[in-house]
Amino acid sequence: MNTKTDTQLTVTEIQRFCMHDGPGIRTTVFLKGCPLRCAWCHNPETQKRERELLFYSNKCIGCGQCVKICLNDAHSFNGNHTLDREKCTACGDCAKSCCSAALEICGKQYTIANLLYVLEKDRAFYGDTGGITLSGGEPFAQGCSAVTLLQACKETGLSTAIETSGYFDPSLLEAAVQYTDLFLWDIKDTDDSRHIRYTGVTNIKILNNLKLASDLGAKIRLRCILVNGVNTDREHYRNISDIANSLSKCEGVELLPYHAFGGTKAVFLGLADNGKKEWIPTEQQLGTAKNILHSYGIKVL
Amino acid sequence: MIFYAPNGQRRPIRLSQETRQFAYDSLNRKYGLETQKTPAVALDDTKNFETLTPIEKYDLAISKIAREAPVRVCRGELISGAATLGSAIHHSVPATYRSEAIYTGVSHLTIDFETVLRHGVGYIRGSAEQSLKKHLGSEREPFLRSCLNCLDAFEVWHRRYLSALENIPDYERNYKNLQRVPFEPASNFYEAVQSIWFTFAFVRLCGNWPGIGRIDWLLGDFLKKDLRDGNLTLDEAREILAHFFIKGCEWICGESSFGNGSGDAQHYQNILLGGIDENGIDVTNEVTYLVLDILEELGIGDFPTTVRLNSQTDEKLLRRVSEVMRYGGGILAVYNEELIIQALLKDGYNLSEARKFANDGCWEVQIPGKTYFTYIPFDSLQILQRQTLDSYKNSIDYSDFEALYSRYVNDLKKKIEAILHDKQRLFTESGVNTAVWKWKPQIPCTVVSLFEQGCIEKGVSYFEGGPVYNICSPHIGGLADTVNSLYTIKKLVFDERRLTLREFLKVLKNNWDGEEALRMYVINHYSFYGNDSDEADLLAARLLNDFADICNGIDGKCGYRFPAGVSTFGRQLEWAPDRLASPHGKKAGDILAANCSPTPGSDREGATAIIRSYCKADLSRLATGSALDVKLLPASVSGEDGLQSLISLMRGFVKLGGFFMQPDVVDAQILREAQEHPENYQTLSVRVSGWNARFVTLSREWQNMVIEQNEH
Repeated sequence: MNTKTDTQLTVTEIQRFCMHDGPGIRTTVFLKGCPLRCAWCHNPETQKRERELLFYSNKCIGCGQCVKICLNDAHSFNGNHTLDREKCTACGDCAKSCCSAALEICGKQYTIANLLYVLEKDRAFYGDTGGITLSGGEPFAQGCSAVTLLQACKETGLSTAIETSGYFDPSLLEAAVQYTDLFLWDIKDTDDSRHIRYTGVTNIKILNNLKLASDLGAKIRLRCILVNGVNTDREHYRNISDIANSLSKCEGVELLPYHAFGGTKAVFLGLADNGKKEWIPTEQQLGTAKNILHSYGIKVL
Repeated sequence: MIFYAPNGQRRPIRLSQETRQFAYDSLNRKYGLETQKTPAVALDDTKNFETLTPIEKYDLAISKIAREAPVRVCRGELISGAATLGSAIHHSVPATYRSEAIYTGVSHLTIDFETVLRHGVGYIRGSAEQSLKKHLGSEREPFLRSCLNCLDAFEVWHRRYLSALENIPDYERNYKNLQRVPFEPASNFYEAVQSIWFTFAFVRLCGNWPGIGRIDWLLGDFLKKDLRDGNLTLDEAREILAHFFIKGCEWICGESSFGNGSGDAQHYQNILLGGIDENGIDVTNEVTYLVLDILEELGIGDFPTTVRLNSQTDEKLLRRVSEVMRYGGGILAVYNEELIIQALLKDGYNLSEARKFANDGCWEVQIPGKTYFTYIPFDSLQILQRQTLDSYKNSIDYSDFEALYSRYVNDLKKKIEAILHDKQRLFTESGVNTAVWKWKPQIPCTVVSLFEQGCIEKGVSYFEGGPVYNICSPHIGGLADTVNSLYTIKKLVFDERRLTLREFLKVLKNNWDGEEALRMYVINHYSFYGNDSDEADLLAARLLNDFADICNGIDGKCGYRFPAGVSTFGRQLEWAPDRLASPHGKKAGDILAANCSPTPGSDREGATAIIRSYCKADLSRLATGSALDVKLLPASVSGEDGLQSLISLMRGFVKLGGFFMQPDVVDAQILREAQEHPENYQTLSVRVSGWNARFVTLSREWQNMVIEQNEH
């Protein structure tokens, strides 16, 4: 069967030479749009499904070209460059004319054919272990298109992985499992009330999808963010272990200590800096988490 | 006693406490400082010194060095012999007349340890005697007599060590082991290691900096036999071999070898591991893995080690290489031997000879023990700025890009011809532009000539055409910057027509003054060499091809082979003040690209894209080599995923047809800390180019350059 290579996807970034988005050397495609609103989000530019304008004030040299070019008067100068996001339609004219790349459109349209062209480039480096990873955002927020991309990759012999929040339409799973070699599945919190408080959605759907994926034979790595004072309790580690042990093909668990870089990215979107140093877990907390997982026979990757 | 690892990981312990202590003391300058105390022997009391011929002076010096150089036997050493005269550290024959060094040493060669091991130095004496008989009375006689004089000196020095060892308690084992070698063939692994070391130490003592070559190939059979016969265990063998590496640290003194700030670990004692032999059979053996164990445990960067890879390289070896590599320090680099052998075949070597390749003590490829090698570096960017664009005079104009490009290639050709003419002037009696290549006398260099095949047979020294192969390789530097400059002019002036060439050159002449928006546009909107973007990369490929054509055109018309190569080593630093503002957004005096690497700050796509850009050129046309530096962050290669990635990176490099890659695992942040607190980072080594340097011994300028290269 031939995939529809003219299918479109909204992409925030394609990153080559990724060494930690699954095994080996990988090219990661970040898709735009996410149903979750995690308080600690590391990629806030991937939350909204729509195109957005990023502004890196540190790169701006104040040439004023954007003021001249914008039809909606979104840019102005009074000493500093100011961007009125209410007026901005994210048309991208200013980004094209910005000499210092201080303005950038986030969320470009790619056809699957165009994506494959980029994904092919590092084939020599993928070897037996590496390949491509779909990330985001929540890749399945783009529905069947994401699955079609996975299928297209498999058809050209590229190994596939997907980083998912697990929060998506379960009807996608059957096809997704067929075309995905490895799921990197986020478990943000096993306590549902905290999950709702910090991500905006329930984890019930996520855990149901996880079970379904496992039943369909998916190979899964669990990825668990550790946020100091939020989910650094033993109960949570035990729950993670139970979940991992309940899966049919679980490679192990990756513990991802919270870092504060997401905060600066929010600033480029005109949002408040959400980075919180106090959320960074201690070495000791990491150690405890590892020990508990080990004691349940879980491999920590 | 910590052997520093830039990735912050603890190194494994396999060696004995005594050996580790010996290594620790050596790395922390104990023997280097001692060596510096006696710089040289003095020839001042020689009667009528000035009336002697150069070669008589040389022989006198070598003889005196052998008789008077301090004998050093280190506590607990398993192998003996030491290059104990300080001037040798600085590339001089350590003998002075009226406080002046009489001759410079020889480097960029890997000598013939194979003959030393399998036949013994005695065999070399026999050859010299025979050759002398043949050439008695001819102009070659003085050189051959000098060979015998230097061999006499070698024997004197050997006897001094034997009598020293005989008289120190507990060194009976060393004494016995040194009795036969290096004059007779080695009969076991221990003797073989001692034989190579003693010969190496003598050649170094006399002021030369030879490379080691394929140590696993040289020693593998000896170890195999000893293991089979139960004479030695692997642990014992590792201990012995470790002493070879530790002894090689005896020149570490915290000072630059060249006095130019380029660090104190730069004596070209390079080593190769793995790869196929002359019959196409993989040479990898237990010695290969022992070397990797030693490098992993002690982090010694003084023997820059390169592993020969091919598409069939065993996963086990590649995994072990990656494990050692990711401790950082740039201790291991890799060759793609498939491409290199192809390059050597194109350059006229036969297959079995090509398969023997090692390097010159840096990373330029040569056939060990048979090759005179010199390379002539030049800055391709300055040719563009000074000749093609006449240092931005207003009168310069080109109708289109092709006109500009062909003028540039023509200017490049003139430069290469000038290099040849310089060599002709210096090395021949026949002068410039003549078909006859008659070597003229050069400074004496008998000690290295003993270990270069061809010299004794012909009765001609290393510098005068003696070796089997004589290589003069022009090395193009500033490649990425020239390509990016040409590419920018093409885009900005001829494709987009944003301004005329004259207008643009005026901007550059004014060092981009008042034109920041234009400069930013160029920097941010163009995809330069190193980003896997065809337009710039194919221009690099085209330029290298034209460069190789020019060199090939000269090959065969002179006494040298004239293969093309690419390098800057650290010269991007010394060239910076002479460079004007460049079209690709760089200002006058900026430090630009190293070797085949992208212009600093211009690569945005990561290591795989850099390798792809580099491999688009036909690197098999550059027979002496083209180096690519790849900097990796410790975090990016940590864990099993990271290890797999490093393996895949090397496999991809081979698959795509790379030549030489030096990955270094280091964090710019750590380097900055080392700059502020050198006392905590005495043994931190970094890959500078063909060599590793201890970071704290680099000058501030060099340190900054290394830091900049590590930032992304």
